[in-house]
Amino acid sequence: MSTTSWTARVRERAVAALPPDKLLPDKQPSYVTSGIYIFGVLSLASLVVIIASGSILALKGPAWWHFTGVGHFFNSIHLWSVELFFFFMVIHLWGKYWMAAWRGGRARVWITGAVTFLIAIPCAFTGYLSQQNFDSQWISTQAKDAINASGIGAFFNVLNFGQMYSYHVFLLPALVVAIVIAHILLVRKHGVVPPFEPRELKAKVAATEPPADAESRS
Amino acid sequence: MAAIFNLSHHPSYAHWHFFQMSVPNVIVIVVMLVVFAIAILVRLPGAER
Repeated sequence: MSTTSWTARVRERAVAALPPDKLLPDKQPSYVTSGIYIFGVLSLASLVVIIASGSILALKGPAWWHFTGVGHFFNSIHLWSVELFFFFMVIHLWGKYWMAAWRGGRARVWITGAVTFLIAIPCAFTGYLSQQNFDSQWISTQAKDAINASGIGAFFNVLNFGQMYSYHVFLLPALVVAIVIAHILLVRKHGVVPPFEPRELKAKVAATEPPADAESRS
Repeated sequence: MAAIFNLSHHPSYAHWHFFQMSVPNVIVIVVMLVVFAIAILVRLPGAER
């Protein structure tokens, strides 16, 4: 049924691309039980903790963690969840690189994952600049020359605390979360990438297959 | 962490030709490689084939 309403067209396209059983599957292929497949969801779990702890820190302001034990606790949760996020994300990246996860029309899945990693780096960097201590002063004064040399210093001034804080608590996290959502939806659409077939199995299949012209001869 | 590790000293670096990196960073990378190898080699408990 064709319709002129844009909302109906968007809905139809969305449901066609991601039917409910693909969007929220209750089964995965058996190879997903391998340990190397858990690092994507571990990265995702770390990101949830980062956003939750970061939201609490944002509610109380950037200096809160300096003078209260509770603030220090949430700051530590935020720091260590970021450490784990990068730890898991790098292993996830290695695993997907060595299994060539862009196979089978999954190029956009790979690209969104790589872009997330690249955006997460300045996201964490602006966090270091938002600490409001000698560490953040040292990092910003050391980084300014490299940033200026790269030519983006006019747009991204690491000595401007307000700008770095805005980047850290809103612009970059919003971008990371948006691309991660796109990444997950693309994984749902295309399915989890299968491992390479073992060479022995490939050779066995090739040996048992009849020649291409066998049918025409019989 | 500061209570567990004594941080009141000069930082230590691994230096080999052009390669220079702080020892804690080297340790984290080695741990990541170990976890990566374990994830590939060890089957998850309950995994059926």
